[in-house]
Amino acid sequence: MNILVCIKQVPDDSVEIHLNGEGAPDLANVTPVVNAFDTYALEMAARLKESSEGEVTVVCVGEDGAKNSLKNCLAVGADYAYLIKDDAFTGSDSRGISNILKNAAAKIEAETGKKFDLVFCGKEATDAALGQAGPMLAEELGVGVITNITEIALDGDKVTAKQETEEGYRTVETSAPCVVTVTKPEYDPRYPTIKNKMAARKKPIGDLAMGDLADVAADKVGEANAQVKTLKLYEPAKKEAGVKIQEETEEDSALKAVAMMADAKVF
Amino acid sequence: MAYLISEEAKDLLQDVHEFCENEVKEQCKAYDVSGEWPKEIYDKAIEMQLHSLEVPEEYGGPGLSRVDVAALIEEMAIADAGFATTISASGLGTKPVLIAGNEEQKKHVCQKIIDGGFGAFCLTEPGAGSDASAGTTTAVKDGDEYVLNGRKCFITNGGIASFYCITAMTDKSKGVKGISMFLVDAGTPGLSTGNEENKMGIRTSNTCDVVLEDCRIPAANLIGEEGRGFNIAMKTLDQARAWMGCVATGIAQRGINEGIAYAKERVQFGKPVIKNQAMQFKVADMEIKTETARQMVAHALTKMDMGLPHSKEAAIAKCYASDIAMEVASEAIQMFGGYGYSREYPVEKLLRDAKIFQIFEGSNEIQRIVVANNTIGR
Repeated sequence: MNILVCIKQVPDDSVEIHLNGEGAPDLANVTPVVNAFDTYALEMAARLKESSEGEVTVVCVGEDGAKNSLKNCLAVGADYAYLIKDDAFTGSDSRGISNILKNAAAKIEAETGKKFDLVFCGKEATDAALGQAGPMLAEELGVGVITNITEIALDGDKVTAKQETEEGYRTVETSAPCVVTVTKPEYDPRYPTIKNKMAARKKPIGDLAMGDLADVAADKVGEANAQVKTLKLYEPAKKEAGVKIQEETEEDSALKAVAMMADAKVF
Repeated sequence: MAYLISEEAKDLLQDVHEFCENEVKEQCKAYDVSGEWPKEIYDKAIEMQLHSLEVPEEYGGPGLSRVDVAALIEEMAIADAGFATTISASGLGTKPVLIAGNEEQKKHVCQKIIDGGFGAFCLTEPGAGSDASAGTTTAVKDGDEYVLNGRKCFITNGGIASFYCITAMTDKSKGVKGISMFLVDAGTPGLSTGNEENKMGIRTSNTCDVVLEDCRIPAANLIGEEGRGFNIAMKTLDQARAWMGCVATGIAQRGINEGIAYAKERVQFGKPVIKNQAMQFKVADMEIKTETARQMVAHALTKMDMGLPHSKEAAIAKCYASDIAMEVASEAIQMFGGYGYSREYPVEKLLRDAKIFQIFEGSNEIQRIVVANNTIGR
């Protein structure tokens, strides 16, 4: 089984980020990390690989700094890693990124002589939270997509996944090759072992640029061709302090809470 | 963090920091109360190979320098000193074999650790603390076996170890030259553990008696030669002490971290208390002491890596780091005011954790004897 995992490097989402004077996120001193949903995708892919046999390749569209994130991926289950980097790709929107990813996958397949059976993406990135790249990549590849999955099983080329919905879960089937986007599963991504981390530092990371990806649609990539542009960023509204309800008995507390909600016309 | 470490160790340090933040720091609070040995935390640490940092590369270890390892151990100690003590005491339990054991013994103990086990070093007895030569445990040769009898006490990892390095008298008439060192696997009939100590601090580490009752082991389990046990034990402690200094430094660093964080939040007289120079000077003194301790640890470990004599440096590192860990922990409590005295807040634990580092692996009085002897000359 040959698996491709697409990752994005994002600012550490455990840090509260504010806008600077120019209205852009102030990312000074914020550590870049692998997008959390992509770490779930990689963990799920690594588990699937380990349950049978196969290889996991990780790709990232980004700058040189993203190599560190790719090395971290090599320490937790990925076998190969590629950084896709070109000035022409900077500022691409999801449509552009998915076109780049499709062509990178084709290039790696041609190089290795092995087709990817499955493509894993995080359901969204924790920075912009668009959630578009996975489904758009499936469209580019002309294959099926199952979004927001928490479990996956492969039987021959039948892919069965547990999909999280707003109401609960449902089981969805499609056939490989396909794209899946992953949300938080029941388990956490593994920590790198000391030895795997040390070995990962020595593994090569492939470089792919515009010149390597012959079929990239030049009219789709880069800032100038982006169809979605961010006009202004807003900080989330600050939450007001809550009200603590602590009556003599739990029953009284519940009654008071219901009365307050009725007053506020919540129902 | 001021250890000068390799690029790969810097990478590992981030991982260890993340692990400790997510899996150790908060979780250990409950175990500090219960005194239970947190197996699930150690299982995760083993999975990440944090327990085998000191295993030499040729026996399956990672092949990091001692200073690289120190940076990682200190990070663990910042999260919880008991956690770091368990891991470091396993290194202590392995050292007699690495110092004086044969190839087969080295492979045996290193494999036990790689497979997820811990080591324990058994020297102290009820009547033999600072006077380590006063032990009464005996080993009598019987054909191809030794038969061990006696009681060891205050043994870190005693109840959870996979193997033990135990000192015992093979010839009472020769005094310290009649002491020998033995490797005993857990589960050997005649070896049992008991009287688990209900300790003041480092409560996430296990400390108990190790009892030997007609415990028969193959003669091949003698480490080095008969009569060399005391010498091996002293060499072991000469190395291990620097590591205890490292853990004590971590306790002090936690005190600084907690003190600063609190003093930035705590508002009195209309401003955060950190704005007061009295508080800033306190932080400066805490930092001066902690950084000095850290560099002394690094110096002792560097000398060890270079194969140079390190007995005095290790003693200074252990003695100084543990003394200042007490002072810094106490000052951290002072920075917290009344809240610092409450078990709701994290700093009183630091004082409880720090105290043992002035006592075990050679009390600080013994360390001063070592330093004096190495300075004055005999």
